[in-house]
Amino acid sequence: MTDLFITFYAITLIYFALSERVKKFIWLLAIQGLILFGVVFFSLHKIELFDFIFILVETLLVKSIVVPWFLDEVRKRNHLKREHQPYIPVFYSIIIVVISLIVSFMLSDYLHNDQMHTQYFTVAFASIIFGIYFIIIHKNIFSHVVGYLIIENGIFLLSLAVGSAMPLMVNLAVLLDVFMGVLVLGIFINRVGNTFKSVEAGNLSKLKD
Amino acid sequence: MVLLFIIASLFFSLSIFLFRNKILTRILSAAYLILLVALSIYAYFHVNQYDSVYYKFDSLGILLSFVLCLLSIPAFYHSYLYLKRHQSSEKDKAVYYATLIMFITAMTSAYFAENIPLLWVSIEATSLFVTFLVFHDHTKNALEAAWKYLFVSSVGLAVAFGGILFLSIIANQSGLTSLSFDKLLLVAKHMDLLWLKISFLLIFTGFSVKLSLFPLFAVAIDAKTIAPSPVNALMSTALVNVGFVGIFRIYIILSQTEAKDWAQHILLIAGIVSIFIATIQIFRVKRLKRLYAFSSMEHMGIVALGLAAGGIGYYAAILQLIFHALVKGGLFFQIGQIRQHFKSLWLKDSGNYFKINPVGSFAVILGLISILAIPPSGLFISEFLTFKALFTAGQYIVVIFALILLTVIIYNFVHFSFQLLYNKIPDELVNQNIKINPYEAISSFALFALVIFLGFNPPFFFTDLIHQALTVLN
Repeated sequence: MTDLFITFYAITLIYFALSERVKKFIWLLAIQGLILFGVVFFSLHKIELFDFIFILVETLLVKSIVVPWFLDEVRKRNHLKREHQPYIPVFYSIIIVVISLIVSFMLSDYLHNDQMHTQYFTVAFASIIFGIYFIIIHKNIFSHVVGYLIIENGIFLLSLAVGSAMPLMVNLAVLLDVFMGVLVLGIFINRVGNTFKSVEAGNLSKLKD
Repeated sequence: MVLLFIIASLFFSLSIFLFRNKILTRILSAAYLILLVALSIYAYFHVNQYDSVYYKFDSLGILLSFVLCLLSIPAFYHSYLYLKRHQSSEKDKAVYYATLIMFITAMTSAYFAENIPLLWVSIEATSLFVTFLVFHDHTKNALEAAWKYLFVSSVGLAVAFGGILFLSIIANQSGLTSLSFDKLLLVAKHMDLLWLKISFLLIFTGFSVKLSLFPLFAVAIDAKTIAPSPVNALMSTALVNVGFVGIFRIYIILSQTEAKDWAQHILLIAGIVSIFIATIQIFRVKRLKRLYAFSSMEHMGIVALGLAAGGIGYYAAILQLIFHALVKGGLFFQIGQIRQHFKSLWLKDSGNYFKINPVGSFAVILGLISILAIPPSGLFISEFLTFKALFTAGQYIVVIFALILLTVIIYNFVHFSFQLLYNKIPDELVNQNIKINPYEAISSFALFALVIFLGFNPPFFFTDLIHQALTVLN
């Protein structure tokens, strides 16, 4: 069952490369949150009940409802519809996602370790690589935050990959990162939108001497 | 105790933020500073003891928390002056002080954190708070600097978190259930080297944002150019020390294994590349704050070289870190005073400062001598020891290259500082009738004097704490 979810997760990455609409990014993030919820639900039941419920609530509530809702508010406020021409055309992006998946496969095979869940690791690593790539190719700061969240989801999967006895501390860390990070980044996007009248990253290039 | 301190700080910070009352803000700020000093003293008398399961008062943490105390007290005073000069509203002032308190608390938590996830959470918290402080002026530049700093440090810290997860794999293999530093040290010898190296690399990359070291140094430099000068004084010193704590604690684990030489190579490369980039960039600076920010990068490069050299280099690295923090703090505290005399922020439009404010210029000159490690500055001793250690380790080429770069930095640093002090500029660029506050330079003089004193006549408890921090390494 979890393998199916993991495959779905990899497919969302390809969809990210395909889409140009900001609204779709938000939907995809919500779907990723749901998939992570599913993965946790089917794979983590050996841990303590409290931790288990905490992680379930976190993935369902925070990752798939609160964060996407908040991003949608930010999107509406800044009248974002479509990402204007990323630096690299969609076609090449898809190739790069696929390559990043293949590289991750090879890497996780090379790093093979008893403590590690190989499938999770593969997709987690691909997600992190793709998140960084996503930030690089997009021109507006809203998409940068989306890229950051893809990295965060990758990190979350990575934490599932490296051991079922995940300490609560690690969880809290992820929660803080996503929740506070997104909240504060969202506030700043609004600020940038108000000050510069657009959220193009090109506006933010005055800090030179 | 640390947990109580954090709760108290939260309470103070919230009260300041909610009530926005001038007198209350002052009382609570003073109370907070007393609490901060009390915590450091308490920590000193409970050295090497655990404080709840999450914190431990280890020697390095104690040393750096004392440095933080020494810098926080003037930072509050200079913040008061800064906010008065910029005629900030009561709301802005309340937000500023509330955030400053939480920023200092997060740094204290990072110094004493006993396990890696907590250290990471504390560092993440420093990023969030410092972003708001950088954004204090609400200008376009401040917005850009704050955004870039928050974004890049969030991504950097996410990468570092990946490293922590890798570390948890090897911890699990060794039968550990928590990522406590002490426990990791015990099992370090049996760890899988490949995973350990990957995790060090990721954690080093992530925390380099804080240490303003190669590779992720750029955003910190931008943020330091824009932030209010009292915030700068903490960002370039205490926050840099936080980055050092993060990297140093992981390095100690690696130093117990065969990966030690490899880690030292990484530090050597990062150190020398940082000094090189700082040297190139210093040619191009046009603002005093940026000059000081790149100088921090150069000093952190030397710290990394000290760690890379090993032996006496470790001692030199910690000495360098502490002295740099004190001197750089003093220099940044002067900037507020310098800025009020000139209409523009650019170095080319400022000059003749020696005539305008002789006491302030004297502080600038003393700071210049101290930061360039010219005797009697304590930094002379730490840099001398670093290069001695590098020679002993047989790194002749690195030493020669670094010394050449430092010479170039000294030339440029003196050039820009003298421009400020002696350059002839038209009168219309100078704000007339500024009242000079003679007390404003006191904090800088005190910090510079302390560095000279500690360099030549270090008290026993000071050297003892440094030696204790290094016992695992030697």
